Amino acid sequence: MLAFIARRLFVSVLVFLAATAVVFVMAANVGDPLAEARQLPPGPAQESAMAEITERMKLDEPVFVRYFHWLGSALTGDLGVNVTGRSINAMLENAVGSTLQLVLAATVLSIVIGITIGVISALRQYSGLDLSVTFAAFLFYSLPLFWVATLLKQFVAIDLNNWLADPELALWVIGLIALFVALFCAALVVGDRRSRVTTFVVAFVAMCALLWALSETGWFADPGLGIFVIALTAVAGAIGFTTLFSGLDWHSPPMRAAMAAAIAGIASALLLDPVLRDPNLATIALLAVITAGVCFAIGWLLGGELYRRSAVQSAMFTGLFTGAVIFTDRLLQSFASYSDLKGGRPVSTIGSGTPNFQGTFWQSGLDSLGHLALPTLALMLISLATYTRYTRASMLEVMNQDYVRTARAKGLPERAVVTRHSLRNGLIPITTLTAYDIGTVMGGAVVTETVFGWRAMGRLLLDGINQGDPMPIMAFFLVAGGAIVVFNMIADIAYGFLDPRIRLS
Amino acid sequence: MRRTRTKPAQAPSGTDAVQGMGVRTRTQGELVFRRFVRHKGAVAGMIGLGAIVLLAVTSIGAGPIPGWWPKDFSSTGTIVDSGKPTLSLLPGFLGGSGMQMGEHPFGQDNVGRDYFALTMRGTQVSLVIAFIVGIVSTFVGTLIGAVAGYFRGKSEAALMRLTDLVITIPTLLFAGLVAVMAGDRGIVVLGLVLGLVTWTPTARLIRGEVLSIREKEFVIAARSFGTSARRIIVKHILPNTVGIIIVSVTLAIATAIILESALSFLGLGVQPPDTSLGRIIHDYQNALTVRPWLFYWPGFFIIGIVLSVNFIGDGLRDAFDPRQNRVRD
Amino acid sequence: MSTNTEPANGSRVHAGKTLADSLPPSDEEILRVEDLTVEFPTDDGIVHAVRGVDYSVREREVLGIVGESGSGKSVSSMAIMGLLPGNARVHGSIRYRGTDLLRMREKEHRSLRGDKIAMIFQDPMTSLNPVQTIGDQLAEAVLSHHLVSRKQALARAKEMLDLVGIPRPEARLKSYPHEFSGGMRQRVMIAMAIINDPDLIIADEPTTALDVTVQAQILEKLLEVKDEVNAAILMITHDLGVIAGMAHRVLVMYAGRPVEIGNVDVVFNQPRMPYMAGLLGSLPHLDATEHERLRPIVGTPPSLINVPPGCPFSPRCPLADDSACVTTEPELAPVDADEHYAACHHWSRLAQVDDPTAYFRAESERSR
Ligand SMILES: Nc1ncnc2c1ncn2[C@@H]1O[C@H](COP(=O)(O)OP(=O)(O)OP(=O)(O)O)[C@@H](O)[C@H]1O
Ligand code: SF4
Ligand SMILES: [Mg+2]
Repeated sequence: MLAFIARRLFVSVLVFLAATAVVFVMAANVGDPLAEARQLPPGPAQESAMAEITERMKLDEPVFVRYFHWLGSALTGDLGVNVTGRSINAMLENAVGSTLQLVLAATVLSIVIGITIGVISALRQYSGLDLSVTFAAFLFYSLPLFWVATLLKQFVAIDLNNWLADPELALWVIGLIALFVALFCAALVVGDRRSRVTTFVVAFVAMCALLWALSETGWFADPGLGIFVIALTAVAGAIGFTTLFSGLDWHSPPMRAAMAAAIAGIASALLLDPVLRDPNLATIALLAVITAGVCFAIGWLLGGELYRRSAVQSAMFTGLFTGAVIFTDRLLQSFASYSDLKGGRPVSTIGSGTPNFQGTFWQSGLDSLGHLALPTLALMLISLATYTRYTRASMLEVMNQDYVRTARAKGLPERAVVTRHSLRNGLIPITTLTAYDIGTVMGGAVVTETVFGWRAMGRLLLDGINQGDPMPIMAFFLVAGGAIVVFNMIADIAYGFLDPRIRLS
Repeated sequence: MRRTRTKPAQAPSGTDAVQGMGVRTRTQGELVFRRFVRHKGAVAGMIGLGAIVLLAVTSIGAGPIPGWWPKDFSSTGTIVDSGKPTLSLLPGFLGGSGMQMGEHPFGQDNVGRDYFALTMRGTQVSLVIAFIVGIVSTFVGTLIGAVAGYFRGKSEAALMRLTDLVITIPTLLFAGLVAVMAGDRGIVVLGLVLGLVTWTPTARLIRGEVLSIREKEFVIAARSFGTSARRIIVKHILPNTVGIIIVSVTLAIATAIILESALSFLGLGVQPPDTSLGRIIHDYQNALTVRPWLFYWPGFFIIGIVLSVNFIGDGLRDAFDPRQNRVRD
Repeated sequence: MSTNTEPANGSRVHAGKTLADSLPPSDEEILRVEDLTVEFPTDDGIVHAVRGVDYSVREREVLGIVGESGSGKSVSSMAIMGLLPGNARVHGSIRYRGTDLLRMREKEHRSLRGDKIAMIFQDPMTSLNPVQTIGDQLAEAVLSHHLVSRKQALARAKEMLDLVGIPRPEARLKSYPHEFSGGMRQRVMIAMAIINDPDLIIADEPTTALDVTVQAQILEKLLEVKDEVNAAILMITHDLGVIAGMAHRVLVMYAGRPVEIGNVDVVFNQPRMPYMAGLLGSLPHLDATEHERLRPIVGTPPSLINVPPGCPFSPRCPLADDSACVTTEPELAPVDADEHYAACHHWSRLAQVDDPTAYFRAESERSR
């Protein structure tokens, strides 16, 4: 395994080096860096400007000499200066954070949501849900990113802000949302027509009532969950996770462990209030680690010898889920004050953050979210469609395999057949897909950032191309190409770990 | 796979294959066609794409041949009703203004150009570029994939490293660089260079297929007769990859439309005086809030084309490979 | 596969355990299938895959099931397992020790599956999960029916691997399926089938995908484990030699129906349904002269979508007449020997000749 990784690493580095050369040669020929200087009125001022740029960019040396010069200093961590003499390192430092945030958010969300939808769609093959998902995936897959991004920025964001100024839902909007939710729930139910119709009606009425109540009480202007809803969600999570992992049985040790984890979570939500008023990222991370540790212990102790594994699993999932709910609640509670800070227009369409923003941890979090939300939504649509389609196809293929039939013949419950056999095998090929997808998302980020006016990696690249300046282009490539190489490596190694048949070769 | 057959001989084909269903044997082509036309999405895609191509070509004509739409995409004019679209699809008895195109069905821009003519022009250019990219990238990808798959060893390693190299460079970066270098040499050159940077998915697909075909009995037999490699590739291997190749063309065309419009939107693709669907949106991006139709129409056409092509591709894939829901990689 | 290509290994001599050495069946009935029908609605119409099957098996009994490809052997056994696809329509009754599986709730049926009723599938290469260790897969079978720790389940798995003859079972628990040969994998499948002491083992062509030499070992192993756990075996196969070597009784299926059932030696020596006679006729005889060739049954079985009236075998039957055979489908009825049933209007004509397979010689020679 180690030898495999080492060889893989070596080849990747060589390929990446070759790629830098290719990109550099093209970048050096992509335009005329002197174009701006040529516009100046002829005379000594123009001449000295041209001489300065020529000197700075070593334009009188052959391309490959410039390449090796760049490579030499790049290896020491110095990425050179751009055409106007600004340090690329400084520019990159500002740019890389926001871009990676965007790319990671879009990738993680599309993987999680895409796989979930794809799996459900495959499990309900040919249902109404499956057909709608398949069609929606086709549609998303066919959408031009720049168009969606522009649509979200120019039209959706404005409407959303206008609505948030006086957030009341019209009755027909309530009806429409409830209809969608109810249709979704009905499609999820297994069983005959009657149980589906019942589900539909119950979900529709409940959703209408909920939305109406939220709208009437002005919840959307000043949202939050409150301890009661948190508790309810945590318990529901405990039941849900346990049912998923080991089946619905009220008295089983995994269920007890999950319930204990939920209760511990609710208690800490109350006890930790002073800490949670204005924490920092380190505190949150520490809390997450403590949660995981405590829940592991709960599962271990309550699981006994026979149920240790599933009890630990249920407890940890429940605990972390409860933590996420508490986190969300805090964010929502800060919404009203954040909205005031932003003059009542919390959804931002320009830039990756409000310049010089001062606020609590939660308000800064909302500020990032407010800037990230729409670009991420735009950027993830295509990947989401890809992951959904791919997962669905992969799951359908696996579900027809003989070993899944064997698992059923053993008498495993359907839930275990799906989670332990179909899912594990069906998701292995997804690792490869992530590696492919990251390049597309990187390119997409350039488009998205341009539309939303971010001063990030996309700006760096486009300025480089427009000014015929290889240095910013190379900086972009180091990050984007590097990400592709790293993702490919990780995918290969992950594949090797997940599929024992690969390990041999 | 080691599956030793214990039955000494295959049954005579008649008894075995038909299994009492009384099916007439159909040729491969007939079967593919039948499966394709059964795919509702594919048929809808064919109709959609056909309609768009027909509309774009006949309305404003091509080159010297005039079309049925009287207005020109470049000449300005007086702005009527602040340039709003006059197209109406709602018949009179439903409260609309009757099914009619009106003076400017897609509206006008800020200097009074007819936006229908302009959109049609953009559609034509985008389609031409996409078809060129589709053909070039499939050709290059097939060539590289087939050679890499057939000749194992050194040339395979070299070609696969080349593919890895191209994959390492984000498509948008690569395409942006070559497109800018192509400059204003016209849309054909743009199509060619974009084709040269988008062949990797095809190459991987073809290579995988060729790798499996080259182990089949008939290829091994041909090789043992000393048939030349070129002949084996052309006569035996490529005909068996036709399905994948055709599907690749559709995938490449869909990718090309999206890529070209994104590049043009960033100002890196089609250069004036040419225009394309992406370029139009780029040109008007500051007027979008005032004149939203300048934004919607080209977008609808991009989506229409890509969606149609994707549906066609899906239908073709099912038709050529009836094994359902197979995972492609 | 069609029926005409079976090799003549009926006379194969097993070095190890044979049916004669193994314990005889008891009188206790394990399973009784009555009037089982299975239909699949499809785009082209309703496929009548199984059209009224009756049989029973007793403790330690081996019932062989033979029949042309598509005759409903697998579908009827998957109905017993309760593993047919959701669109299948199943009628009739399948009584396991008296309780009807078809009227059970899914949860109860599942608790029998893999515990009391186990199945071995045809292709051992694909029937094991490639990403789980053998030990985990075996232990899972124990854990899904018994409240024991993982450790105990693995110990049981090891015991079973030992029983089916896999060397170094302790170490092999940690292996993955791809590290095993086909025969070894089928042994693992057998181990998985018997790990919970089943009453009934359904083996659907367990040796078709294997090497001839390995086949014999696997079959011996099956006979051995049968006595170990006192199970009945439903042995589905295309290989009449296997039936002759290891089944007590044989059920012959044609176009979704049972057409002959009886003790193996009776049916093999005195077939009373022309289809079975044809099957036997296609086996080369030990005393055959050089010139004698395999005599295939010409023609194909009828469509299962529009099953024509009359005897389904009539288009291919040398004894077919123009009246009863094409108008009325014959019922399974007792024939000359005890416990021997056949579905043929003219079974008595087969009883009148010494060698019923001779009809097929004439038929195939005429058509040549
Ligand atoms: N899910 C299904 N939908 C429609 N028809 C089916 C389905 N499963 C099986 N059949 C049909 O039922 C018939 C009986 O199939 P079955 O698999 O039981 O045959 P078999 O006797 O086991 O044949 P073989 O010897 O080839 O295994 C076949 O004609 C088959 O096409
Ligand atoms: S019933 Fe008639 S057709 Fe059918 S097997 Fe008997 S003789 Fe042949
Ligand atoms: Mg079968």
